[in-house]
Amino acid sequence: MPDSAALAYPVRLPSQRSRIERWLLLVFSVVALALAAAGPLLLDTYSISILIRSFLYGAIAVTLDILWGYTGILSFGQAAFFGIGAYALGLTVTQYDFTAPIVIAALIGGPLVAAATAGLVAWLGFGPKVSPLYISVITLVLSVIFVQVIYSGGDFTGSSSGLSNFDTFDIAMEGWFRIAGAFLVAVTAAGWIFVRSDFGRLLVAIRENEQRCRYCGIGTARVKALLLVGSAIITALAGFAYAGFNDVIAPDLGNFQFGTQLVIWVALGGRGTLIGPAIAAVLIDFISAWLSGSLPFIWQLIIGLVFIVVIVLLPQGLGPAVARLFLRGDSKPVAAGLVALPDADAAGSGAVPAVQVENVTRNYGSLHVLRNVSFTASPGELVSLVGPNGAGKTTLIRCLSDGQERSAGRVAIEGNPIDRLPPEACVRFGLGRKFQTPNVFDALTVAESLRIARSRQERLSVTRTADEVRLPAAAMRVVQATGLSSLLGTTVKHLSHGAKQALELAMVLAMEPRVLLLDEPTAGLTRAERSLIGEVLVELVRAHGLCILLVEHDLEFVRDISSRIIVLHQGSIVMDGTVEEVTNSELVRTIYTGEPHAVAG
Amino acid sequence: MAILFLDIITTASILFVVAAGLLIVFGVLKIINFAHGGFLTLGGYAALVTTQLEWNPWMALPVALLSGLVLGAIVERLVVRPLYARPLDAILATWGLGIVVVQMITIAFGRGTNFVQSPVQGAIPIAGETYSLYRLIMLGVAIILGAAMIGILQGTRLGLTARAVIMNENLSRSLGINSGLVRFATFSLGSGLAALAGALITPLLSVDPLMGVPWLLNAFMLVMVSGTSLISLGAACLVLGGAQVAISTYSSPVLGALSIVVLAAVLLRVRPAGFARA
Repeated sequence: MPDSAALAYPVRLPSQRSRIERWLLLVFSVVALALAAAGPLLLDTYSISILIRSFLYGAIAVTLDILWGYTGILSFGQAAFFGIGAYALGLTVTQYDFTAPIVIAALIGGPLVAAATAGLVAWLGFGPKVSPLYISVITLVLSVIFVQVIYSGGDFTGSSSGLSNFDTFDIAMEGWFRIAGAFLVAVTAAGWIFVRSDFGRLLVAIRENEQRCRYCGIGTARVKALLLVGSAIITALAGFAYAGFNDVIAPDLGNFQFGTQLVIWVALGGRGTLIGPAIAAVLIDFISAWLSGSLPFIWQLIIGLVFIVVIVLLPQGLGPAVARLFLRGDSKPVAAGLVALPDADAAGSGAVPAVQVENVTRNYGSLHVLRNVSFTASPGELVSLVGPNGAGKTTLIRCLSDGQERSAGRVAIEGNPIDRLPPEACVRFGLGRKFQTPNVFDALTVAESLRIARSRQERLSVTRTADEVRLPAAAMRVVQATGLSSLLGTTVKHLSHGAKQALELAMVLAMEPRVLLLDEPTAGLTRAERSLIGEVLVELVRAHGLCILLVEHDLEFVRDISSRIIVLHQGSIVMDGTVEEVTNSELVRTIYTGEPHAVAG
Repeated sequence: MAILFLDIITTASILFVVAAGLLIVFGVLKIINFAHGGFLTLGGYAALVTTQLEWNPWMALPVALLSGLVLGAIVERLVVRPLYARPLDAILATWGLGIVVVQMITIAFGRGTNFVQSPVQGAIPIAGETYSLYRLIMLGVAIILGAAMIGILQGTRLGLTARAVIMNENLSRSLGINSGLVRFATFSLGSGLAALAGALITPLLSVDPLMGVPWLLNAFMLVMVSGTSLISLGAACLVLGGAQVAISTYSSPVLGALSIVVLAAVLLRVRPAGFARA
């Protein structure tokens, strides 16, 4: 049942809001299509011919906005995909006759080549351990390569002068206007539905905190690769249409400057607004064409100046600034209901240890942070890792959840060796990790965050927003007891530190992990919240047979809930025993009070 | 063979001179100055003006350096300073700045290609061949520039504060270092060096408003693989510039033009630290 606290909040449900939006979108699309159909009757020939190009650019800007504005992938290489689509048509019809099969081959082949290129770029640019700037570097290189390839093609590609006067479609300019207009409307409407869906919120989550996404088990590299490929296909289609209409293509279509121009349009229109970039691309390209005759350089100068001013003073772009003049801030948070799921089955067989660590070592150069750490933990155990600062506790947690982290040794989660696997793969073995400082999605609401945490159990829709968040009992308990249930529509950045801690814990629990790694889960929480979380953890272990590894400084808390304690000191396990053994140990007391002779002895 | 060797070291020198300004800005400010190409073009036109005024061709260098320093100083205050916290936006804003500089130059000088008088002419015999004297001078310039910059960084108080800001800006500030001033000085100097490089390369090439773009791309890639170290930059220029010369000579100039960006991109994928020590 939907949670009563959430429903008491007098707001529309997401599905109701999205239904209203869908109607509005339909109305706008119909009006836009009608304008595209009627345009040729109202405009002069020159404007028509310019707007065809501007509409195609507008559609590209929409896909670039999804990449950059929403997902944070700054690509300078969209121009290359446009060029690939354009040259696919130009090259095939100059080499072969203009027949239906040839044209269809070009129509399919161009986007295919663009998609393959985008796939290669994604493979290079979204690899593990690659800096976020690298995708910008590699897309920039792509556009440089494109131009050089065309240059070196000699007569085949027309080199620097390009190809012109090839046979093309027998479509009048009015026809192209309607095609390009419909293309822009279709891409924008589809993009709008996509970014407003639950999956669209995942894009923002990736932009905001890719690491957290990966620890929710989401293969972000794959999502980003799919987005890049999708944008490449649409951009290549636009390039195909451009070549078909214009009958002149040149290497400039795919160069770095054009790629950057697209970025400028998106930034001016307002990144992450979808409509803004579309309007900006169409308007600026149209005005540029008109002014290129009378004051070409001045106009470019103005665009450059406005661009700088917008980036410095209005990073959200002109679109939102203009919209704010007319619209009141009406984006009230949309609540969703909570639905409790029945308890999952209790633990597995128990035959396999939940966590198996053998001789794990971690070096930073000559610094040994962990040396030969070995232990096993079974389902139904709550093992606390204690030790002074710098003992290697957090490093150990890191080595258990990311196969790239350790220098040597073996780790298995629920019997699955993690080898060199990335976090998202480790998570799929049943791991959940809560970070030391709250690691959440600042731009998302509480409900959206929880839904993304659940995305492996319940697929995120690419067209719809769900009305409810379905949570397993443990996550539900944390959400309700900490008051998050009444804050479902609140943006996470407005939450208190404690509420963010609770949210991250709830997100991890929502993933229904079998092995839980908690790095100081109660830091910054009140005493009451702390004991509540203690209760939840104990219940997870006792009733559901989870295995929990807990890093904690509060020894009282540790004593109350642990079934076993491992003491780390200077990167090695110095003690592994029951709560009584450890708390009564002379050794542990000296480690904490720092008397050096006792450690050696 | 001797010619190839000379081509490689002089090409590496030219690349080093062009990329050095970009590197110090990246090192201290942690932003990529995409206006670097625009400043380079500015320096090229400073040399052109010197030629048109029939001054001594060597005067092109101080004129270019000064114009770059002044423009860099203005731009740092107005555009770059508000963007310290947004490094990706700084790339975009400086690219916009590059557009503005190039358009202003176009308005003033037109789109045409111009030539600048070289301060020295001809070739000299070296290692059994005759070789362009100006290219050999570029080798000397690169060595002097590199040595001077390392000397400033290692041997002066300004260099010490700059290195402190490179390593840990927050800590430097808490120790009373005026990091804003360090940034200001660095950006101005980087811009000045870009313009100086523009004036230095123009005797070898023609001057036109878009001359900066290919240099920007190559310098950008070289800095990406060098991190913040001048020594790494020197190594990167020698290896990648050498590859460019070798590929242009033995294969095709088109592939040669691509070699720096492509090899650097591949290198960054295989080894994200590039030529810098990881």
